[in-house]
Amino acid sequence: MSGILISSRDWDEVESNTTLTSLGTGSQGQKLHTPMRGFSAFIATFKVMFKEEFRKNIEFAKARQVVLFPLLLSLVTMISTIGLQFLVGDSAAQTSDIESKTFTWQELRFGLHLPLLVFSLGMGTFAFMGREALIRRTGTKNFLLASPALQPLPNSVAHFVYFVKDLCFYVLLILSPIIFGMFLGIGLEVVASINTPLEISSLPWTWIAMVVTLAQGLVFSFLASALWMRGRPYTILGPVLIVLFGISAGIGLFDLEWFLLGLKVQSTQNIFIAIISFIVCIGLGYLSSLLIVDDFDVSVVEKGDMLEPIYQRLGFLGKGEVRLIVAKEFVDLFRSGSIKKMTVSYAIPLLVLLGMAWLVDFAEAPIPINLLSYAPFLGFFGFNFYSWLTILDSPEFMNGLPLRVPQLIRAKVVVYFLATSWISLIFIVLMAWRLDEWASLPTSIIVMFANSIYIVALTAYLMGLRPNQAIFDASIMIWFWIGTVLPLLGLFLLSFTQGDVSLYGNWWERTSQDGLAATAAMYDEGLVQQGYMGMIAISVVLLLASMLLWKLMDRRWGNSHFNN
Amino acid sequence: MGDSEVALVKAVDMAKKYGDFIALHPLNVEVHSGEFFGVFGPNGAGKSTFIKLLTGQLKPSKGLIEILGINAVKDPQKLKANIGIVPESESPPSFLTPVEFLEFVATLRNVDDYKNEVEHWLDWFGLEEKRNTMCKDLSKGQRQKVMLAAAFIHRPKLLFLDEPFANLDPIYQRKCRQWLLDHVEQGGTIFLCSHVLEMAERMCNRMAIINDGKVLAAGSVSELKLSTDETLEDVFIRLVGRSIEDVERISEEGITEEE
Repeated sequence: MSGILISSRDWDEVESNTTLTSLGTGSQGQKLHTPMRGFSAFIATFKVMFKEEFRKNIEFAKARQVVLFPLLLSLVTMISTIGLQFLVGDSAAQTSDIESKTFTWQELRFGLHLPLLVFSLGMGTFAFMGREALIRRTGTKNFLLASPALQPLPNSVAHFVYFVKDLCFYVLLILSPIIFGMFLGIGLEVVASINTPLEISSLPWTWIAMVVTLAQGLVFSFLASALWMRGRPYTILGPVLIVLFGISAGIGLFDLEWFLLGLKVQSTQNIFIAIISFIVCIGLGYLSSLLIVDDFDVSVVEKGDMLEPIYQRLGFLGKGEVRLIVAKEFVDLFRSGSIKKMTVSYAIPLLVLLGMAWLVDFAEAPIPINLLSYAPFLGFFGFNFYSWLTILDSPEFMNGLPLRVPQLIRAKVVVYFLATSWISLIFIVLMAWRLDEWASLPTSIIVMFANSIYIVALTAYLMGLRPNQAIFDASIMIWFWIGTVLPLLGLFLLSFTQGDVSLYGNWWERTSQDGLAATAAMYDEGLVQQGYMGMIAISVVLLLASMLLWKLMDRRWGNSHFNN
Repeated sequence: MGDSEVALVKAVDMAKKYGDFIALHPLNVEVHSGEFFGVFGPNGAGKSTFIKLLTGQLKPSKGLIEILGINAVKDPQKLKANIGIVPESESPPSFLTPVEFLEFVATLRNVDDYKNEVEHWLDWFGLEEKRNTMCKDLSKGQRQKVMLAAAFIHRPKLLFLDEPFANLDPIYQRKCRQWLLDHVEQGGTIFLCSHVLEMAERMCNRMAIINDGKVLAAGSVSELKLSTDETLEDVFIRLVGRSIEDVERISEEGITEEE
C-alpha cells in the first residue's frame, strides 16, 4: 500500500451536499455483530443502571444509613397516620362544627399528591442530566447515562431506562416505605389501641395512586427537559402546552382533578383509570426519550473573559476567596447554559403554587392559608437549586489550589441567594396581589428570606458538596427533618393567627385547656399580635442559626477534599 | 491489490465546524485492511475530532463517512458494535466493577460466550484481583486497562485508539504494543491518534501529521523524512513548528496593530 490516501481541502472548496450514497467500503470477511436493540437492550441496561444508582447512593452514606432512610420514612408516616384522626374529624376532640375545622379525605389526598408531584417534577429532568453526564464523561466520574457515546446503545434507550430506573428506585425507596408506615400506623390499633381512621384496604390504592403521581411528575419534567434540549421550535412547545393547559383548566374544559392523575385514581379507585394513567405516563416517557438524539457534540466555543467583570461587580463580598469563587460559579452558570434551566426549574414550582392560589378557593379550606403561610415554604425549593449548583462542575481541580471546601460551599450559598432571591420576591409580591394581603407583605418578605437562607445554609452545612447523595443518608435526613420541619411548622401554624383562627384556636385550646373536649375559639386580636411577634422571633432565630451554621462550616467540612 | 483494495475506512470531505471555529477541514481518508495507520499532531490539532467523527461519536458538518460498509452517521450503533474504540480520557462507569462493565459492553454487542471473553481479558490485563472493585476506586492505569479490554472484548478487526497508552506502565505498554502488532499481522487494522512520535516509528506503516484541523503531510515514516539523518521529531517540528511560529507571528502582529 503506498501513495497518499489522506488529504485536506479548504472549507469553501467543498459543497455541503453530496450525491454519493455509498463509498464502497467492506468488512473484509469480518462477521458483523448486530447490536442489541429494543427490549433486550432495555433489560441489559436496566440491570446495570439500577445497580449503579444503588451504589451511587451508598457511596455517600454508609449502606446502613441508606437502609435506615426508608425506615425513617416509615416511622414518620406511622406517626402521621396516627395524627390523621385530628385532621379528618374522627377524633373525640372534634365538636359539632366538624366540617369547618377538619379536612375532608379528598383534601387530604390532594395534600398527599400535590407535594409528591412537585417533588417528582424536580427530580425528572433526565435530558439535562444526560447532557451533564456526557459533558463530564472525561472527568473523574463517568456514568452509564453517557455510555451511548462509545457503546452501541441509542441515547434514547439509555434515557428511557434512566426514567424507568428512577421511577422504580423512588417507588422502592420512598413510596413503599411510606405505605409500610401507614400499615404500621393502622397496626397500632391492634397492639396499642390507638385509633386511626385509615383502613388497611385503602393502602393498595394509595400506593398505586402515588406511583401514578410520581410517574406523572417525573415524565412531565422529562418531557419538558427533552423538548428544551431539542432547541427551537421544541423549546417553546413546553410553555405553550402549560399555558394551554392553564387556560383549559381555568375555563372549566376539564376537571382539575385530572391534572393529578394519581388523585383521580385514588378518588375513583377505578383500575382502568389507574392502568391507563400509568400507561400514559410510561408512554410519554418513551416519547420523551425518542426526542433525545444521538448527539454527543460538546461544542468548542470561544468566549471573552467573563470572570473579571463578574468579579468586579461582586465588590460587596469583600476581597476574600469567596468572592472569587462566587464569580467562577456565575461563569459556570452562564457558560453551561444552566442559568436558564435552573431558573425555570426554580420558578415552575412557584408558578404552580401561584396557579393554585388562582384556581383553588382556599377560603373553603379548613386551614386559613394566607400570604404568610406561603412565605416559609419558598425556602424548600432552595434545596433543588443548591443541588444543581453542586453538580455544575467538578471541583477536584481545587484540591491543588490554596482553597478549602467550606469556602466553596459558602460561595454556592451566596450564588443561590443572588440567583434566586429576585424570583422569590416577585412570587411573594404576585401572591400578595392575588390574595390582596398587602399589609402582610413586609413580614412575608422577612419570613421568606430568613427561611430561604436558613434552609440552604442547613442543606449546605449537613450535605456539603453532595446533597443528591446525602438525602438518602438517614442520619443526615433526621437532622435535616428536625432542622426544617420544626421551624417550618412553627411558622406555618403561627401564620394562621393572621387570618381566621378557628382551627388553630381549636387545637390550642384542646391542648392547653379542655383536652379532648375542646371547642372552637374565635378571632382574637391578642392572638394575632402574639402570632405576628412569634413569626418575627422565629425568623430572627433562623437568621442567627444561619450565621452559626456559616461559622460551623469550617469545623464540619474543613478537612474534606473537593469532590462532588 | 486484490481484496485489500476495498477500504475498511473511508471518508470523503469529512469536516467539523463549531460555530465559526473549524475543528477539522474537509478531509479525505482511506484505510485498508492490515494497516497500522497513525495520525499525529500537537495538542488541539484535531486528532480526537478526527477519530470521534470516524467512530460515530460526532456528526460531521460536511461529508460522508463509511466504515466496514456501515454509514457512520446513519447507523452509529451498528458501527460501534463492530469496531473497538479506546477514547483518550474517558473512564469506565464509576460505579460498576470491571466485570460488570465488560459483561455489559459484550452483552450489548451480542458477543457469543461473553463470560469467557470477560475472564480472558481480565486475566490478560492483570485485573483479576480488581474484578470486583468499583471502577472509581481503580488507578488511572487500571481504568485505562478496563477501557482497552472493553474495546478488545468482541475481537474487532478494526480498532480506533486515541492516546491508548497514556496511563499504562511500561510493562503493559510493551504487552499492548506487541498485541496490536500481532493483530495487524493477522489481518487486523489499527487507526491510532497520538502525539507520541515514538509510536509512529515503532508501530505505524503509514502516518499523517495534522495541525489546525488540516493534514500537513502523509506517508510512511521514511517517506516523510527529507534525509536519513532527519528524525521524526525533526519532521514534526519542521511541519508543525513552522505553523505554530506563524500563529505566534500573527498574534504578535495583531498586538502591534492594536498598540
